Amino acid sequence: MNIRLAAESLHSCSGCEISLLNIGEALIPLLNRLQLVHLPLLMDHKYSDPAGSETEISIPKAEIGLVSGGVANTHQLQVLEAMRKSCTTLVALGTCGTHGGIPAMINEWPMADALQTVFSTVTTEPVDVPNQDTPPMLDRVYSLDEKTDVDIFLPGCPPDPTIIARVLEDFLDGLTPEPVTKSVCDTCPTRRTGKSERKLLRFTANARFDSNESTASMQCLLEQGFLCMGPVTAGGCGHQGEPACIRARVPCRGCYGPVRHQDNQMLGMLNGLVSQGIDFKTIIDRKSMLRFSGAHGRLRPLKEKKRAS
Amino acid sequence: MRPEHKPKIIAFCCNWCGYAAADLAGIQRIQYPDSLRIIRVMCSGMVHPEMVLHALNKGADGVMIIGCQLGECHYIDGNEKAMARAELIDELLEDFGFENDRFLITRLSSSESEQFARTVGTMHKRVLELGPNPNSNQDNGDTP
Repeated sequence: MNIRLAAESLHSCSGCEISLLNIGEALIPLLNRLQLVHLPLLMDHKYSDPAGSETEISIPKAEIGLVSGGVANTHQLQVLEAMRKSCTTLVALGTCGTHGGIPAMINEWPMADALQTVFSTVTTEPVDVPNQDTPPMLDRVYSLDEKTDVDIFLPGCPPDPTIIARVLEDFLDGLTPEPVTKSVCDTCPTRRTGKSERKLLRFTANARFDSNESTASMQCLLEQGFLCMGPVTAGGCGHQGEPACIRARVPCRGCYGPVRHQDNQMLGMLNGLVSQGIDFKTIIDRKSMLRFSGAHGRLRPLKEKKRAS
Repeated sequence: MRPEHKPKIIAFCCNWCGYAAADLAGIQRIQYPDSLRIIRVMCSGMVHPEMVLHALNKGADGVMIIGCQLGECHYIDGNEKAMARAELIDELLEDFGFENDRFLITRLSSSESEQFARTVGTMHKRVLELGPNPNSNQDNGDTP
């Protein structure tokens, strides 16, 4: 019997689905063994049974369910719960699902303030925050595992197509996909000299490298003074033996989220810098180090200081 | 502040000074608040900020790091690393929703048992004034 696959996108950009299609030729043999039963981005399928109740979301039963995106409103929460009910194995596809991703950057502000800001900028006509025919927002953006049980975490923004293919193949062969245990640095070929800059450079500066040489001859970008998130980011991006951003000679942005699921990228990175004698106060926007992993309460609005004067 | 609030303070004590001072305080029968829970570590320099944050997320009301006097570290400069990290923790706790007064780093030599008891007393009072940790009653799982 074919294995049935259902896929759903919640608070996401469809980049993960593009990555799924980007598997390319390897996708064709996979499709012979997979039966797509629900994939709103590719095929038309209604949530509710016309004969049944209108409010109940029903998703066909499937052995494997891919969910991309985090959870930000009540509708997405319902869809997620329906997916969990229908799928034997639930896969969080992409960093939004595993750690909140880019949309979770909104967690830095209270949701009401954020909506107010979005709907009443100085350049637009002031309007009320829409509340009719739109599902209400939750208090913040959640990752999938905060709201339901997730069986397989597949981070990445987007996850590399080869990794998605490998996980699907493993699943079809009845194997459990192995979780990532290596950081980006573990898979990075650049040269480490032990001599590092004490001052941090902005991403607008260019790295020093010889474009005729391979990345193995380039000095480690962290040593060059860039805030490369490699040490605290899960590896696996870029299937040609080197991390994707490093191959493009730019520092790692941290898009695969922390190496261990419960780690905190900002804390780990700052701790490393401080141990190296770098003044962390020179980093102007340190919260941006959580740009991909702001769920799980890691990014939260600042409290009013209530210190006795 | 609830009257029945009994705070819990986690103290990471370095094996060579902080823990020895606590040990001496015990031998000398010096009284200090029972809110303290000591975790012995080999050096204050090994206490990762994540450990402090984890303790607070799990409901500890205060966290202390007790290391050696500057220049007396058994591992040459572990306590200086701890100081650099403490500065970071001080700054970052508010990002994660905790008052930075819930954290204290201090340096003691192994003979300073009375200072140890005094410091714990100060921390205990400070935590009582702050009231219970907002996370103490909810199960936050493993989320830092």
